[in-house]
Amino acid sequence: MNEKNKAILFNPLSKDNPVTVQMLGICSALAVTSKLEPAVIMAISVTAVIAFSNLIISLIRNSVPGRIRIIVQLLVVAALVTVINEILKAFAYDVSKQLSVFIGLIVTNCIVMGRLEAFALGNKPWPSFLDGIGNGLGYGLILVIVGFFRELFGSGTLWGFRLIPEAFYEAGYANNGLMILPPMALILVACVIWIHRSKDKNLQEK
Amino acid sequence: MNKEGNTYTLIYSVVIVVLVALLLAVTSQTLRPKQAQNEAIDKIRQILTSINLSSTNSNAEQLYKEYITDAYLVDAQGNRTEGDAFDTEPAAELTKPEAERKYPVFEATIDGNKKYILSMRGAGLWGPIWGFISLDDDKNTVYGASFSHEGETPGLGAEIEKPEFTKEFIGKKFFDKAGNFVSIAVVKAGKTVQGQDYVDGISGGTITSQGVNAMLKASIGAYEPFLKIKL
Amino acid sequence: MQDYLSTFVRSIFMENMLFAYFLGMCSFLAISKNVKTAFGLGIAVTFVLFVTLPVNYLLENYVLKQGALNWLGESFAEVDLSFLSLIIFIAVVASIVQLLEMIIEKFLPGLYNSLGIFLPLIAVNCAILGGSLFMQQKDFPSTGVATIYGLGSGIGWLMAITGMAAIREKLQYSDIPKPLKGLGIAFIITALMGLGFMSFSGIKI
Repeated sequence: MNEKNKAILFNPLSKDNPVTVQMLGICSALAVTSKLEPAVIMAISVTAVIAFSNLIISLIRNSVPGRIRIIVQLLVVAALVTVINEILKAFAYDVSKQLSVFIGLIVTNCIVMGRLEAFALGNKPWPSFLDGIGNGLGYGLILVIVGFFRELFGSGTLWGFRLIPEAFYEAGYANNGLMILPPMALILVACVIWIHRSKDKNLQEK
Repeated sequence: MNKEGNTYTLIYSVVIVVLVALLLAVTSQTLRPKQAQNEAIDKIRQILTSINLSSTNSNAEQLYKEYITDAYLVDAQGNRTEGDAFDTEPAAELTKPEAERKYPVFEATIDGNKKYILSMRGAGLWGPIWGFISLDDDKNTVYGASFSHEGETPGLGAEIEKPEFTKEFIGKKFFDKAGNFVSIAVVKAGKTVQGQDYVDGISGGTITSQGVNAMLKASIGAYEPFLKIKL
Repeated sequence: MQDYLSTFVRSIFMENMLFAYFLGMCSFLAISKNVKTAFGLGIAVTFVLFVTLPVNYLLENYVLKQGALNWLGESFAEVDLSFLSLIIFIAVVASIVQLLEMIIEKFLPGLYNSLGIFLPLIAVNCAILGGSLFMQQKDFPSTGVATIYGLGSGIGWLMAITGMAAIREKLQYSDIPKPLKGLGIAFIITALMGLGFMSFSGIKI
């Protein structure tokens, strides 16, 4: 893998993170992060959708008529999402029950369309595929961080296993109900941005 | 050929639409049997949960055969009627006029005692919620309950399927002392209500809890004539 | 009538697309820097929701649902096309957006320029597809109610983005820690507004 491809793959993890820098894909990020498990499954599904839609669109980019390009892109994305939804239903029924609404909403995850418009339409298939994987992982990273803290402090568990010992509860510790509420996801993302931008001063807005 | 021309655009869109539709139809058809099986097992496990039996995907069907001794439909007057109880979808029944609706009843025998399992369906925050509730042979006291949902928020409304919530129902009664149907209320934790049994709702899942409350009232209420027929 | 009124009020306040479900966040954060543009985008979203919901409602109930093709004859009663619903919904949304894009470009070039890349992205505004998906799940009794739901959700979203833009305009004069400037503080404000809107969720109509 040459330098350029490496940059395409790894930049979205930090410097070019889709959520904290490009401001894409926030909608569906919030609802699924109150537990770690759905957050991880969501991250994998989104990565698969971005990578393959980037690949397909990049393959057909020269033949798509400009006037209908958005509809073609949406068609490809919606088809991929439907396929993923059907596969989850057949092979991971329990998880798909937890995620159903949110899987459908991947179609409107701006990250997917954003990358198609900004990258896949103007690049060769292989770099586009890498770009999709990179952005999916960058997005997943934020989901997992937020899901980790929300589950740990909101329910005292991680991946369903109790982490905070019973003795704590007996001593008066209580789960933080606010963590479970959706607005907390936003505040956590804001904290991630805060830390990220204190480290990387170039990203700060004037 | 001109890429921006009308003919090209038209042909292009037709081709791509047909391709995508074919792909989806094939996926949907190949995966459907597997999905249907998953759904059936899921339903069996929910029914088993409502009589406090835990099951796995592999032993669910066997346990079902062992414990569920009878399954039938009752009509709006509470009389037993024709039909397959397992395949009757409460959702589809709800679209029919009230007088024509049929409600599934499953009978289980546990340690020689008969339990009645009733089905429920309602709306949560994001989508439908449903469940089964089993009653002792007095057709009044709850023996066990199980709830499911399509897409309630994980960690909030989705908690209705957890044992912490369903266990609260055990021993509660649907009829008051005078024999009137009053349902079981789901209230905010710490609140109380007069004249009926109640359980604590999910904190942070208010709308889902209200949905469960409404579902109990409507769905079990529909069984009222059946429940009033005492043997 | 009560159906209409309660759906309308609920969709604006209690079930506000943005604050209750956090749908449509991307364009919400990107476009809410100035009130005028925000208002323009809000109007566009409202319009698209208002038009797409009845169309998708009819498609759902007369084409896609299991048994929806009954009107073609008895033999179609078992046909279940619901696996196509996502694609059909998004196609309807995208076509209406493209139509809107052409109209705005022709008649309101100023707005067109300031909306920039986000106009095509309305098609993937989660609030709009979300509207159609909710419609599918809530199983509204009539086209009228579905339309009102679309209108209400749009107005709720418009209100949210305009309010947010007004706050952000004032924020320019505040002393915010540097790393939080811009996006970070916008998240926190949205969270606080969301907490505020949660108080509506207890109201019954």
